[in-house]
Amino acid sequence: MHLFSPEVGMMGTSGIVGPCILQAAGAGYSFKLLKSDQVAVAFFGDGAVNNGAFHEGLNLAAIWRLPVLFICENNQFATEVPFAYAAGNPRVGNRAEAYGMPGFELDGNDVLSVCESVGDAVRRARAGKGPTLIECRTYRTRAHAEGMGDFSYRTREDVEKWKERCPIARLKSKLLADGAASADELDAIVDEVAQQIAEAQQFAEASPWPDPATAANHIYAAPKPVTHVTVKSLVPPKGTREITYMKATHEALAEEMAVNPKIFVMGEGIGKRGGNFNTTAGLYDLYGPVRLCDTPISERGFVGMSCGAAMTGSRPVIDFMFADFVLDSVGEIVNQISKMQYMSSGRLTMPVLLRGCIGIGHSAATHHSGNYYPMYAHFPGLRVVVPSTPYDAKGLMKHALRSNDPVLFLEPRELLGIKGPVPLEDYEIPFGQAAIVSEGKDATVIAIGRMVPVVVEVAQKLAAEGASIEVIDPRTVAPLDIETIRESVAKTGRLLIVDECFAPFGIGAEISAQIADRGFDDLDAPIRRLNGLHTPTPYSPTLEAAVVPRIDDVLRATRELLAE
Amino acid sequence: MAFEVVVPRLGWSMDEGTFGQWLKRDGDYVDRGQPLFVLEGEKSAQEIESFDAGFLRIPSNGPGDGDTVKVGQVLAYLVAENESPPFPPADSPAKIATAGALSGQTPAAGKVAAPAPASDSVATAKPAMKASPRARRQASELGVDWTKLAGTGSTGRIRERDVIAAAKQQFVSPIPVELPTVPATTGKSVKAIPVSRLRKAIATRMMAGSKETAPVTLTMPCDASNLASLRQQFRATRRDADEIVPDYNDLIAKLTAEILARHPLLTARWGDQEIAFAEAMHIAIAVDTEAGLLAPVVRNVDQMTLRQLAAESRRLAVAARAGTLPEGDLQGGVFTITNLGMFGIDSFTPVINLPQAAILGIGAIIREPAAVDEKIVIRDRLTLSLTFDHRIVDGAPAAKFLAELRQAIEQPGPWLMP
Repeated sequence: MHLFSPEVGMMGTSGIVGPCILQAAGAGYSFKLLKSDQVAVAFFGDGAVNNGAFHEGLNLAAIWRLPVLFICENNQFATEVPFAYAAGNPRVGNRAEAYGMPGFELDGNDVLSVCESVGDAVRRARAGKGPTLIECRTYRTRAHAEGMGDFSYRTREDVEKWKERCPIARLKSKLLADGAASADELDAIVDEVAQQIAEAQQFAEASPWPDPATAANHIYAAPKPVTHVTVKSLVPPKGTREITYMKATHEALAEEMAVNPKIFVMGEGIGKRGGNFNTTAGLYDLYGPVRLCDTPISERGFVGMSCGAAMTGSRPVIDFMFADFVLDSVGEIVNQISKMQYMSSGRLTMPVLLRGCIGIGHSAATHHSGNYYPMYAHFPGLRVVVPSTPYDAKGLMKHALRSNDPVLFLEPRELLGIKGPVPLEDYEIPFGQAAIVSEGKDATVIAIGRMVPVVVEVAQKLAAEGASIEVIDPRTVAPLDIETIRESVAKTGRLLIVDECFAPFGIGAEISAQIADRGFDDLDAPIRRLNGLHTPTPYSPTLEAAVVPRIDDVLRATRELLAE
Repeated sequence: MAFEVVVPRLGWSMDEGTFGQWLKRDGDYVDRGQPLFVLEGEKSAQEIESFDAGFLRIPSNGPGDGDTVKVGQVLAYLVAENESPPFPPADSPAKIATAGALSGQTPAAGKVAAPAPASDSVATAKPAMKASPRARRQASELGVDWTKLAGTGSTGRIRERDVIAAAKQQFVSPIPVELPTVPATTGKSVKAIPVSRLRKAIATRMMAGSKETAPVTLTMPCDASNLASLRQQFRATRRDADEIVPDYNDLIAKLTAEILARHPLLTARWGDQEIAFAEAMHIAIAVDTEAGLLAPVVRNVDQMTLRQLAAESRRLAVAARAGTLPEGDLQGGVFTITNLGMFGIDSFTPVINLPQAAILGIGAIIREPAAVDEKIVIRDRLTLSLTFDHRIVDGAPAAKFLAELRQAIEQPGPWLMP
């Protein structure tokens, strides 16, 4: 497990059962998009077929007739649980029918039979006829993992009986009987394999241990130089035309899709409909159904696919509408997408853009109101972006679409309609650079996403009272530009973090800890946080209003900080 | 910090008692464990021992013999030497603080004494001192004792602004001084300004420098062309506009430190029995401020790089002009440099800054024709004015110092190499 050799097409062996099915489907999508004749193959055991990834992956591959082989080695045990116990349907191959693809049930210990069926399946895939499910019935003659006890759940007799059906021994007898090969030729192959293994072992043992200083290498892709930038300013130039937030991200996506044919978008209703929030309006007519791919409500499936697509050379944009919906795919994001560059020592890159709306408002209630970014910011390997203005949204999305790291791009829904200056010229905003929204000297107030315009209004009100507030928008919470915040606190001595998201273990907690550490002697007052209430979001408008920091709350908190 | 002397509880149900008498007088020093006063409880009279040490200060309206006192009532304070007790002077009526609930604590009989104010039982009487980390840092930089300040934070916390306000108070505010009587010979009203604390200090020092020394001033012209070129090189190569570039004072201070090391008498201090040599090369550089002349001290100039020296002298000058210079930064100098060149002054007779032995005046840099290698060329001339105390140094060694300093100014490179 955890082995990678992408040079020969071995894209990683996961410690998690199931995701390889989705990744193979994603690779198949890449091949279709890039018009390659490659075929993706997922190898998995009987344990995986009871997992949601099997269902979602096979269904998605069938919808789009992807060049994928799903090969199940049914060795009859998932860890120590017999398949006969774990499956309502004791067969695997016949499940293909449920997804509208051909399925085969083979003697997995018969090499020639497997070879023939797989060859047929590859030809089918290359001919554009879609995926195939092949069940190879076999038996696991060793323990689940080396050194584990093996006879509490099965008998030695069963194991010995299956050992006699060794596929290599059977192939050897067949080749000798048919006169297709001599004993010497076959012995030479066995010797060659043994020698290769011995050499590999020798190489491994003679190699030095890795340098501990490299333990955190390859979490992210090597930074790419920012290219094609004509507007370098980190704030929009004066006199720039004004467009909405929604239009700004649409421009970023449309412009990049026009120059980069590897970009495709997946999501529910993002095809002809143009997206629930008009994120892809008009693009379907330009680029068609492969690059603007409508999906079933199958978040784990298409997020898992994006991982396989990214590792095979395309650039997926996953449009999940509401951030709440994507929680079903968090395993794919956290265990696969964010770890893939690290696990492959940087040999694979993960240019995946995962975008969707966040935030509370308009009685959307708790399954359409989540924020979630502190959770994602916790994990290494992800970039987490929360833009608050049209200018930032376009610049950061441009950067995301040109970078090689996975990006969670979270758009505060209540801000989608706001207008702001966005230059016509090309520009991008690099990750990890906070914006000083307004300068001040009496207190620093950090605002994220939806809270930025609220805090700006508060700063204006307080300016009329003679207090000078510095408002900072981190723009990306991972990476977090703590240095800009520290410099501001060194000036003001006072810090308040205003965040609609929950306080416990949140961005405010992180900023507080880092400032208390690096800027302790700069502090003239305790660090304060103002957050949304730690509760699921209620539906009733009055209850909903009570869980979000409002302008009066921010005013009060800022005044209290100034008086501390 | 004052410790309160309060009425202890002698038994579980005691709420009040009868004050017997003080066993110490107002102003006496009291050590821990010494008997302080007599208190009669319900059953007996006891001598109450002190928990803390300090000078006893009893308010004038404190209890008299036989008065009823409540448990927790503050009777007096133990303060540090010369510390004012936290009650108003005798002529205004003092409000005796009484503690709130004693948290159910009952000191064991016989061991009772006034609890230290740090304990929560008297928290209502006097809150613990609080200062923000920033205020503490600022206080340390400005030489302000924050424990003496009143905080303006919402919970009484001392904030940076409190420290800065105190620092300004300390250094720039005029103190009320009676003006010398102006003879009213003209009969007209005379305009006057109060003598500030700083003005008074300057006057005292200048009078002492003039009257208590045997001052002699020597002047020495030097060719400062190379020095000017060096300064220009610093200016030309700075990375940004904020980078501090050594000015002439810094350059000359550094060179002076090098030459002074070879002439220790010029940094020595006069005593009637002996002449004490300086232990460190702390050089004062005069700064003209709105409030008056200040000469903050750059420490260990001989151990600093030129850039460090420039940064430090700039910091001191800024603080001096802002009125936030701590007293400590004005002390310990062994030699002073003063510059009037910016006003076009060529040479002058600076006054020795006692207890130092000498002061170097720097004049203007004047571009003028000079004879070099039999040719007339334009060079930068600078004149040095050295006033020294003839009690300590004679004319010839002082002139030798000045000649060597001239040579260093004319060929500065080798002297500035670390």
